[in-house]
Amino acid sequence: MTEHSLWRFSRALHRAINERRFEDIEALIDDEVDWAIYGPIDMFPFLGARRGREAVIEVIRQIAENVRVHRFDRESIMLGEESASSMLRYSLTAMDSNKPISLRIAHFAQFKAGRLFSIRVLVDTFDLVEQALGRPIHLPKMASLA
Amino acid sequence: MVEPLNRQRVLNFLDAFYSRDVEAALACCSDDVDFLANAPIDIMPHMGHRRGKAAVREMWSVVYARYSSLRYEVAATVAEADKVAVHIRAFFRKRDNDRTVQFDIAAFYTLRGGRIAEIREIMDTFDLVQQVLERDVAAELAETGKI
Repeated sequence: MTEHSLWRFSRALHRAINERRFEDIEALIDDEVDWAIYGPIDMFPFLGARRGREAVIEVIRQIAENVRVHRFDRESIMLGEESASSMLRYSLTAMDSNKPISLRIAHFAQFKAGRLFSIRVLVDTFDLVEQALGRPIHLPKMASLA
Repeated sequence: MVEPLNRQRVLNFLDAFYSRDVEAALACCSDDVDFLANAPIDIMPHMGHRRGKAAVREMWSVVYARYSSLRYEVAATVAEADKVAVHIRAFFRKRDNDRTVQFDIAAFYTLRGGRIAEIREIMDTFDLVQQVLERDVAAELAETGKI
């Protein structure tokens, strides 16, 4: 039974982020890859959309410059023939502040001939911003707005 | 192959929910359905964690009260055994000013006996809060030098 493309991609991505070894991941990304991590790009410039292998490798470099992955747990995973979706909890360290960050994310990935062709990543970004700030964001309650 | 059937069950559920038919949506769920959407619940009290049909009905009723129309598009689905993941693009029109909140949801469904027993949702909550409040919170934080 052939290993699903997600597992090769996941190992290579974590090697790229933690060890700055990009040669494996380059080979696992399609030339025309469509990549998006939803979130506030003015606060985190490595979020947002990228198109093409070169742009995606560059953004993975930026992620590697900003965080280290300590641990990740897959809370749910579904594998299709050339698709995959997971819900994960990541424990990261922000490189600039050395702060620990706990992050919930989900992804939808599509592969073509074993290479990543499309990925959409959703992040619980309000929680991420509060952790990056190191304090809660105080906003009016919806109850008073309704 | 149970996957196509479970995928269709989830799509039937989404059709019912987004057409505001709360009873039809609940009929797709188990009695002890467990719902969790991580979000700042002090700002969006109609999210968070609910367990059981009564609690979920109450939560969805708040959604229907606050938004006059709901629409959705399915960007992607992945199904395996009793689990289905759906990338949803949602459009909620606010009842008070007709402005539309548009956001993406990663929704993970676990089915048991043909019914949805667990719903987990992850979304870009910072963007959602900004749209709900109609405030550029990122700019406000930048202006106050807090980022």
